[in-house]
Amino acid sequence: MIRCGIVGYGFLGKRLASYLTRYKARGLALTILANSKGYLYSPTGFDSDSLPADIISHSGFRASNPVEVIGRGLVDLLVVLTPTNVYSGEPGLTYVREALKSGVDVVTADKGPLVVAFKELTSLAGSMGVSLCYEATVGGGIPIFSLARHSLRGDRILSIKGILNGTTNYILSRMHFEGLPLDLALQEAQMMGLAERDPSLDLEGIDSACKVVILANALLDLNKRLEDVKVKGITQVTSDAILAAKELGMTIKLVGSIEGGKLSVAPRLVRLNHPLCVHGSLNAIQFKLEILGDLTLIGRGAGESTLSALLSDIEWILAQKEASKGGR
Amino acid sequence: MRIRLTLGLTDRPGALLKALEKIAMNGGNIISIIHNREQLAGGYVPVSLSVEFPSSEHFERAKAGIEESGIPVLGTESLERRIETVIIIGSLSVDMLEKVFEGRGEIISLEFGGGSRSPHIRVMFSVSSEDRQAVLEALEELAEKNNCVLVSEEA
Repeated sequence: MIRCGIVGYGFLGKRLASYLTRYKARGLALTILANSKGYLYSPTGFDSDSLPADIISHSGFRASNPVEVIGRGLVDLLVVLTPTNVYSGEPGLTYVREALKSGVDVVTADKGPLVVAFKELTSLAGSMGVSLCYEATVGGGIPIFSLARHSLRGDRILSIKGILNGTTNYILSRMHFEGLPLDLALQEAQMMGLAERDPSLDLEGIDSACKVVILANALLDLNKRLEDVKVKGITQVTSDAILAAKELGMTIKLVGSIEGGKLSVAPRLVRLNHPLCVHGSLNAIQFKLEILGDLTLIGRGAGESTLSALLSDIEWILAQKEASKGGR
Repeated sequence: MRIRLTLGLTDRPGALLKALEKIAMNGGNIISIIHNREQLAGGYVPVSLSVEFPSSEHFERAKAGIEESGIPVLGTESLERRIETVIIIGSLSVDMLEKVFEGRGEIISLEFGGGSRSPHIRVMFSVSSEDRQAVLEALEELAEKNNCVLVSEEA
């Protein structure tokens, strides 16, 4: 039985936990539910009816640092869903690092650890012979890394560009279609739960820049950090400027790109018939490949769609474990 | 794509014909030929050819063929002009913008919008493929210096 733990029991953690209770028959038991304050432990694995709505108020709650849980050998696979800090990577960075050091496979939706320490963590995973999967960190449910790992492995990615932040894309779309000013479109996005109360990371292009860093390091084998990205956000974009673009059959989109080793995020003029020109909170990513040419993927970039990416990573790790068992 | 090729020809009959054959073999359509006899240098007569090639690969093959046949290629210049649009969010003067294009492009139209509260300028210009990057970088530098945002076109 593979013992799985989740650190970060918020909206996404709860939704994932309810899916993972169905994996018991396939040899995966959800044994740990943790947050930064402590954890709940079920040696035989939680079932759908034993999943708590909240872990801190549960009678079995044990106050402890999640690092201790990892070190005690209670899990074989850890899913890290901690809140993102793109500058320190914490608290997720410590959990991911400790898990890998303890020989635990890791699936993360937290961008922070990868933005801060991509090479360190991937080398650590390699040397420990465990997997570090992060499909959910870029483009939500769009299968980017698994596609590259499987289907594009014979080709070579030359450049990548994309609309990587659903919040700003929603705002720019509302400005384009309804002529709303940026502040009203932002308020609307906040009311719909698409934007944080402090939306600065999205609006200033930092969230997109983090995703550009992960893409560059993971898919183009670069060694880049957040400070290597030239970033310009959308805070100065006006609905009049968008109208001026619209008159020429274009619009303004926040585009992240990796071209010739240079990383950037900036508002760009995009033709309305360009494959990257998606609207609402959709994300789009375009690869330029040596043989295939242009390949564009479009999908929902946040929220519940992220679950699809997490489950895909977990399935991949289960398949790896199954394959290594068969090889023995 | 339209290219200006400058070749160094020896002043003997048949030298130009050899070069023209290589161009024709690679699909090049010759628009004009100018002999600069008064600029004779190192025994060569510089000859300037304007040629329309189907693609950059055709041009590269023709150039390699000319060089292999012993004719030096003294220079190449793209005559391709691209029409591009940028929107600059913020306020800049016409003089500032005109300076960016001096000697490397031409402003086709300048449209000011957004009033005094949220001004922007839509600039349509033509530029050679060779100068495009330098012009965009100069526009970006100008925008940044003046607290404006340059929104350039995604290829």
